[in-house]
Amino acid sequence: MRILAVFEKGERIRHIGHLDIQRSVQRGLRRSGLPVAYSNGFNPHILVTFASALSTGACGKREIMDVTMAEDVSGEEFLRKMNRAMPPEMQLSEAMAVDRKHPSLPPLLRAAQYDLLIREERFAGKLIDAIPVMMARETIPAMRKTKTALKECDIKPLIYSLNGKDQHIYGMLVLTERESCKPGMLMEALCREAGIEEEVRVLITRTGLFGEDENGRLVPLETL
Amino acid sequence: MDLNERFERALEKVQKAPRYTGGEMNTDVKDWDACPLHFGFCFPDTYEIGMSHLGLKILYGLINRESWSLCERFFMPWTDMITLMKEEDLPLLSMESRHPLNAFDVVGFTLQYEMSYSNILAMLEMGGVPIEGKDRGEKDPIVVAGGPCAFNPEPLADFIDAFMIGDGEDVMTELNRVILERKEKGLSREECLKNLAKLEGVYVPSLYRVTYHDDGTVASVEPTCQEAPESVRKRVVTDLNSTYYPEEFPVPYTEVVFDRIMLEIMRGCTRGCRFCQAGILYRPVRERSLEKLVELADKLQASTGYEEISLSSLSSGDYSCLPELIRELMKRMKEKRVSISLPSLRIDSVLKESLEETQQVRKTSLTFAPEAGTQRMRDVINKGVTEEDLLEKVRDAFEGGWSSVKLYFMSGLPTETTEDLDGIADLARKVVAEYFNVPKAQRARGLRVTVSTSVFVPKPFTPFQWAAQDTIETVLAKQEHLKQVLNIKGVTFHWHEPYVSFLEACFARGDRRMGAVLKKAYEKGCILDGWNETFRFDTWMEAFRECGLDPAFYANRERPKDEVLPWDHIDSGITKQFLWHEKEKSDRTETTKDCRKGCNGCGLQRWKGVCACANTGSV
Repeated sequence: MRILAVFEKGERIRHIGHLDIQRSVQRGLRRSGLPVAYSNGFNPHILVTFASALSTGACGKREIMDVTMAEDVSGEEFLRKMNRAMPPEMQLSEAMAVDRKHPSLPPLLRAAQYDLLIREERFAGKLIDAIPVMMARETIPAMRKTKTALKECDIKPLIYSLNGKDQHIYGMLVLTERESCKPGMLMEALCREAGIEEEVRVLITRTGLFGEDENGRLVPLETL
Repeated sequence: MDLNERFERALEKVQKAPRYTGGEMNTDVKDWDACPLHFGFCFPDTYEIGMSHLGLKILYGLINRESWSLCERFFMPWTDMITLMKEEDLPLLSMESRHPLNAFDVVGFTLQYEMSYSNILAMLEMGGVPIEGKDRGEKDPIVVAGGPCAFNPEPLADFIDAFMIGDGEDVMTELNRVILERKEKGLSREECLKNLAKLEGVYVPSLYRVTYHDDGTVASVEPTCQEAPESVRKRVVTDLNSTYYPEEFPVPYTEVVFDRIMLEIMRGCTRGCRFCQAGILYRPVRERSLEKLVELADKLQASTGYEEISLSSLSSGDYSCLPELIRELMKRMKEKRVSISLPSLRIDSVLKESLEETQQVRKTSLTFAPEAGTQRMRDVINKGVTEEDLLEKVRDAFEGGWSSVKLYFMSGLPTETTEDLDGIADLARKVVAEYFNVPKAQRARGLRVTVSTSVFVPKPFTPFQWAAQDTIETVLAKQEHLKQVLNIKGVTFHWHEPYVSFLEACFARGDRRMGAVLKKAYEKGCILDGWNETFRFDTWMEAFRECGLDPAFYANRERPKDEVLPWDHIDSGITKQFLWHEKEKSDRTETTKDCRKGCNGCGLQRWKGVCACANTGSV
């Protein structure tokens, strides 16, 4: 069987990269004493995968780990033991047991929800006002970083929804194995729309990961 | 903008922000206001080095265990962070609660390496603590230090209020109690320092006066008040089983240098290698029991989730029931996929059997430290290892499936000749030959022999404390020679830059006047001297010139027998007479036996109940 568990990457540790988060989860699993399954081979490792890597610098409210167990364990027990074994900045909020044959999560991923906190109040109003103007455009050009170069692309089709309130911008953005709209790309486009040339400091929090149900509606990935 | 906000802004721009953010497993923040005594533990090097250090984990746990004291960590920021901290006007902040260094009652540095001294000055200044003890007022913290380099405290006497000499476990709590008393009773700084001087193993340098001869050598070091003892005797923890050892370690998110469980199986070493300072400072040898170690391993594995345990000590191969210990740990850890590694493997004591057991889980490269290339040179330094021993162990390793061997040597040892250097190459060649002697089907592929030579630095409290270090020119010529003779297929040669070792030698045997050089160099911008990219040798030499001191006086001068050494008022338990006797034996190429085979009379036998060897052997 497998366990799908929802966990947080807290603000204090947001500069920790994905590889280190992976290792920290592995060590947490080892501390928990839960009956996890190991890979075969010379350097056995715990069979744990993640629905999506979260970038360095971003916080996560509902990140998802997928752990293969060697013995059956209830979601409740998993949650209780892991929360004792994980640091305060990486606590779990939910855990559910699924069948070993449950589909793997990354291919099911469709979108991610973000909460972007504009650090400096003076930029917030301008940026929020620019949202409807930008969204009304035919195309929204942005620069996408590839491994070798910057490429221009259109992020309009990659935005499900975008709105703002106070110092926050909330967006539901496409995130699949093939393509995604990164919060950084979105912010660049929005700043251009708002005519802001200075650097706008943003605290990025990914608040949820979503897949599509049979009716094509976005639903939390772990509920599929 | 408030401090936290400015700190966050710096973090957004800095490289490797996790070095500064904390929040690691097992680093719970204690309630600041509920704890009367606040201890700022400073590791004067980067996070990755500091978090690898066992002493930090022991003292961190020990201080936080007491209900009345809390301990938070500080590390030396890297240069990019220092620049950002200046831009944002940020003080040095603790990893846990982000309090500045000057908010703590005690600031404690661990002294592991002389090249971290300038970082101490930098951390104090960034933390808002006056650099020199004489400038500190009633509101400033008491600045203390301990660790191996505290045995010659003199170069840091201007900056550190009190030094702890020897094992820290007991004296740490005693010292904190005295400082708590200062806070509670509102005692003056001076009274507090005098109270500290009354503790066994505590040296308060400001309570001593040093006089010099015209030639620059020390004439006398004398206490200036009643509270300060003439000689400060090191602290010794006699029973490791009943001594505090943490059952949980902080577990960093990012990779650090030693990212594993360190199990200190014993302290001290009975070998008596004449170059080795740790071998003297950590005497006598004390073992933890197998039962205690197994219990600690279980608890530490459960609390850290680490995938590797390393057995730590100066000479793990000498642990009296090593095969049993390894077998027991292997048995318990196999299911948990935890591997066991033996880092400072002594080549003449590890059984083939335990080699085979180590590889059960993971095969890493094996390290041997013959230290010198010829038997004559090894006899001079009393490294009781023969070529046959080494080759036999190497053969065992190659037959057991290892293909990667590291060999550590020192160059510049007293009486070293070209022949001794050539001996290093001969030994490397023989190691390569052993590999090819193993049938091809039986040996692992990809032979890798790494030869590393470091530059010998004479250290206080060793039989070589009177010896001259090779000059930089001599070291460079020797390295050139080694490069040529070590051009052997299958062998990689690494060497140390002589410049750092030269400066290390100045501080290792420096007197109080070195404090001025340190301050001058720091003011000229020297920090992070242990790192190639930040080490500025020329600036250091300028600092020497401007202070009117000659580095060669400290590094390259042979001392006569009757010279007062700057650290003579510190009592390591080992007599100066014994060390001189050892030096003379070294001059005659005579060896001294391992003191487990009988007491050699090093001096510790004078301290009742401290050394078990002294009671069993013949004097």
